[in-house]
Amino acid sequence: MARHHGPVLIDTNAILECFRVGSWRALSSGYNVETVEDCVTETQTGFQRRRAELQIDAALLTASLKAVHPVDDAQRAVVAVRAPDIALDVGERSLWAHALTRSDAWVLCGPDKASMRFGVRLGLKDRLIALEALLTDAGHRPKEALKLAYTTKWLENVLGELFISEGLGRS
Amino acid sequence: MSASFIGPRIKALREERKLSQDDLARLFGFKDRQTVSAIETGERRVTAEELVIAVEKLGASLDYFTDPFLLVGEGRFSWRQTNVGPQRLSAYERNAGRWIAAFRSIAPQVGREAPLLRRALGLHKGSRFEDAMEAGERFVAEFKLGDVPAARLAEVMERELGILVLHVNAFDGISGAACRLPELDVVLINRHEVVGRRHFDLAHELFHILTWDAMPPEHSEEARETGGNRVEQLANNFASAVLMPTPALDRFGDWSAIDAGKLASRLNAVAEELQVTASALKWRLVALDRLKPAVARTVPDAALRNNGRIADDAALPPPFSKPFMEVIGLAVDEGRVSARRAAALLDLTVDDLADLFATHGVQSPVEL
Repeated sequence: MARHHGPVLIDTNAILECFRVGSWRALSSGYNVETVEDCVTETQTGFQRRRAELQIDAALLTASLKAVHPVDDAQRAVVAVRAPDIALDVGERSLWAHALTRSDAWVLCGPDKASMRFGVRLGLKDRLIALEALLTDAGHRPKEALKLAYTTKWLENVLGELFISEGLGRS
Repeated sequence: MSASFIGPRIKALREERKLSQDDLARLFGFKDRQTVSAIETGERRVTAEELVIAVEKLGASLDYFTDPFLLVGEGRFSWRQTNVGPQRLSAYERNAGRWIAAFRSIAPQVGREAPLLRRALGLHKGSRFEDAMEAGERFVAEFKLGDVPAARLAEVMERELGILVLHVNAFDGISGAACRLPELDVVLINRHEVVGRRHFDLAHELFHILTWDAMPPEHSEEARETGGNRVEQLANNFASAVLMPTPALDRFGDWSAIDAGKLASRLNAVAEELQVTASALKWRLVALDRLKPAVARTVPDAALRNNGRIADDAALPPPFSKPFMEVIGLAVDEGRVSARRAAALLDLTVDDLADLFATHGVQSPVEL
């Protein structure tokens, strides 16, 4: 697949997985990777919600990102009214809140099914991208295997299921 | 859950702030109060801009209006506790309210609606203690709870009555609670209590759930197996009969024939078998006139503590419950709740959440 040249919006899950498999440098140097302040916070020890926490230096992480965006209530409110029934975590919600303010050719790497359902519901299915696809297109192969939810095939399968579940597959 | 909870929350806050619909219409810049009325009833959707105005003008957080995992002005609790101050109880109630609100919000989305109809006992404040005991005995028979009713009580409450039973981590002093929402009944049990007390709390709270309209319980009551106000005494009599029905007690022979020196050990042994406290068993036998009060008083409480065991080494029930985790699991798997959000709700890591599904025999949907 052709490598994406626009902004890549990435959530906490994908950042943590990328660090876990040792591929952050390849990703951040291969793309214009951006995120939101809440996701940066969630990559720090005590906020990762992972049993084995990774040591990620916030300053180095921020320096390797093209941008870290603040998100305000007005932006979060848009997510809340567009899909009040989808329960996202703080960083996932803020990332979508930011994405919805943009009109450029961004793609979003956020592999939780609830986050993906939000994208599908808003007609943004084609903006979702797997971490595996990003790394492959950048010519990088992680030394350690990515977990299932970060693979291209998994993303395609789940997007298909969610598309039907949202009632978008009917003619 | 639809967006319909945003409007009622605006209404709840407006009323708390003692504002009229006209006042709110002016704040929002609407021509008249009809639009406010339509928003409050859920007839009209709130826009993002209006939501921000509500946050700014009414002085509440965005989450107050938009978080489906909150109880706002809903849910009546009745706590069983010992020496827990109102502030600590209130803080814990807010936390527990999140689990309950989450289940209430998610369960219908994954095909696990609460029953349409509620069961109720035909008892009232004027009922006799014997009536409450008879109701307990009949409950055991009707729902086929068997020789050890405590063992199946939670399952029957969940499957037959649609009550959500949650084993929770609560601090010392909180035994449990009953909670009533318009569409859901919940019982919370402190999983760190000894097994006999957990079962007594469960049966006691069951009584409150089944008599809530006729005898609304106090918000907070002292956890004890005897005494209390009239409603509490009725609840205790019902609970005793459910856990120790006469057919189950008949298996253990004539109590009056037991030598006084062996009474404590016999009470402890039978209580262990019935999964109740020996103290509750003692008073149940007195209520049934199988043990004379004077004889009962000769058995020191210390001899019955922990059913005579030196340490309580029984395994704790896993946190929450299988039906609860099934609903959370379906919601994560279907992409209705994110895994991180579910983990945050239960104050776990994502990895611990995956383990908790496995503990309950529920397939983990966590693939992150």
